[in-house]
Amino acid sequence: MNLLNKILLPLGLAALVAGNVHAQNKELVVGSSATYRPFAYENPAKEIVGYDVDIIKAVAQKAGLQIKIVNTPWTGIFAALNNGDVDLVISGVTINEKRKQSYDFTAPYFEARQLIGTHKDSTAKGLKDLAGKKIGVVTGSTGDDIASREFGKTNPDIKRFESTPVAISELANSGVDAVIGDNGVIAFRVQEHKQLKTVSDPNFPKEYFGIVVKQGNKALLDKLNAGLAAIKADGTYAKIYQTWFQAEAPALPAQ
Amino acid sequence: MEPILWFGWFRADIIAEYGVMFWRGLQMTILVTVICIVQGTALGLAIGLARLADARHSPARQICRYLLRWPSTVYVSFFRGTPLFVQILLIHFAVLPLFINPADGLLISGETARSLKQNYGAFISGILALTLNSGAYISEIFRAGIQSIDRGQIEASRSLGLSFARTMYHVVLPQAFRRMLPPLGNNAIALLKDSSLISAIGLAELAYTARTVAGAYSRYWEPYLSISLMYWTLTLGLAWAVKRLEARYGRGDTR
Repeated sequence: MNLLNKILLPLGLAALVAGNVHAQNKELVVGSSATYRPFAYENPAKEIVGYDVDIIKAVAQKAGLQIKIVNTPWTGIFAALNNGDVDLVISGVTINEKRKQSYDFTAPYFEARQLIGTHKDSTAKGLKDLAGKKIGVVTGSTGDDIASREFGKTNPDIKRFESTPVAISELANSGVDAVIGDNGVIAFRVQEHKQLKTVSDPNFPKEYFGIVVKQGNKALLDKLNAGLAAIKADGTYAKIYQTWFQAEAPALPAQ
Repeated sequence: MEPILWFGWFRADIIAEYGVMFWRGLQMTILVTVICIVQGTALGLAIGLARLADARHSPARQICRYLLRWPSTVYVSFFRGTPLFVQILLIHFAVLPLFINPADGLLISGETARSLKQNYGAFISGILALTLNSGAYISEIFRAGIQSIDRGQIEASRSLGLSFARTMYHVVLPQAFRRMLPPLGNNAIALLKDSSLISAIGLAELAYTARTVAGAYSRYWEPYLSISLMYWTLTLGLAWAVKRLEARYGRGDTR
C-alpha cells in the first residue's frame, strides 16, 4: 500500500494529468489548398499565408485551439477531411446545400460572388454569352457547379483544372475563352495579365465561405463559431479583411 | 436521379449520370495511347539508330558523332531524366504557346491558333509530351535490341554485298524485333497508364473524368474504382496482344 501510495499513485496521476493536458492541447490539423491567392498561398519562405490563414489563426487564438496548417490539394481536400487527415478545412469553401448534406459549416467568414475572367476583346456580358465557348473551371468548385448546371455536366466545352492559376494560364494562352471562379481569386489573377479582364454577371448569387468540419463534430464547430463571433465583435475580423482586400468588411449573416 | 446502390455502398447512379463522359474518356485514352505507341516507336527507332551511328572515316565520322550521336544522347538523357508530369506542363504552358499563340506564335498565330488551342491544345501538348517521352525509352529498347545481335551477322551480310540499310532491314531488325517485343509491350502498358497524367492540362480522358465526378460528389470509390477497372481491362488487352505478337514472331525460334 505504501509502495502504491508513494510511487504508483503519483505516476498514475501524472499520466492522467498528462493525458488530459494532451487532449486539451491536441494540435488540430487545418487543411488549406495553397494555390488560392489571396486566400491561401505559399510565400517564398514556404509558409502558407493569406486571408484564410489569418482568419483561422485569429479564430483559433480566441477559441484556445492549437492549429497546424497543412497544404492540401483542393481535389482531395474533402477526402482528407473524411478520413481524418485534417480536422477542419479553411480553403475558400463556398457554403452550399449539397456540401451541407455531407459536412458541417461555421458561420460565414467571407462574402463571395462568382466572377468571369476573359479576354479584353470578348463581348460576353454574362454566363449566357458563354454558350458554345470553352470555359475553364476548377474541378468541383462553385464555378464548376454553375457551368455544369447551365451547360450540362458532361459538356466537353467545360474544361476542368486542378487549380485557379492553371485555369488562368490556360486562359492567358487562349486555351479557353473564359474562366469562372471566386471573385477574390479571379480578380487577383486577371490583373497579372494585361490581355485579360473580368466580367461580372449580376445573376450570379451572393455566396459565403465557411470553415468546414466533419459532419457531427459539434464540439469543434461550436468552438470555431465562438471564435469567429469573437473576432467579428472585437474588430480583428475587419482588420484582417482590410489587410487583404483593401476594403471595408461587408456585414455577414450570423448563419 | 434516384441513388442506386450496388452492394449497399456503390453509387452506380453517379457513374451512369456521367456515362457519356466515361465513354468519351475511354475513347480518348485509347486514342492517345495508340497514337503515342505508333509515333513513339517510329521516333524510338530513329533515335536508337542515331545513337548507334558511326562511320569509319572523316568527315562522315565527325557528322555521325556531332550531328547524330550527341544530340540523340542528350535527348534521351533529358526525357528519361525528368518527370513526365513536368514535361507535360513544360510543353503545354511554355513550349507550345511559343509556337501556337494568337498574339505572336512562331508557327501559327491569329484566329487559327486560337481555335487550334481551344479544340486541340491539350491533345497536341499531351501527345507531343508522351511521344517524346516514350520515344526516349523506346530508343533504348531498339539500341539494346540491335546491339544484342551478333556482330558477325552484320559482317556476313555486308560481305555478301548488302548495303547498311538492307542489312538493317533484312537481317538485324527482324531478329532484334523479336527480342524487343517484351520490353516494347511493357513500354506500351506504361504509356497507357502514363496518359492519365495529361488530365492535369485538361484533356478529357479517363482520369480527368474520374476527377470531375469526384469533384462534383466528393465521392472517391465510385469514379476511381471504375476507371481502375477500365485501365486494368485495357492493359490486360495490351498484354494479350503482345503475347500474340510474341507467339507470331517467335515461330522462327522454335524448330
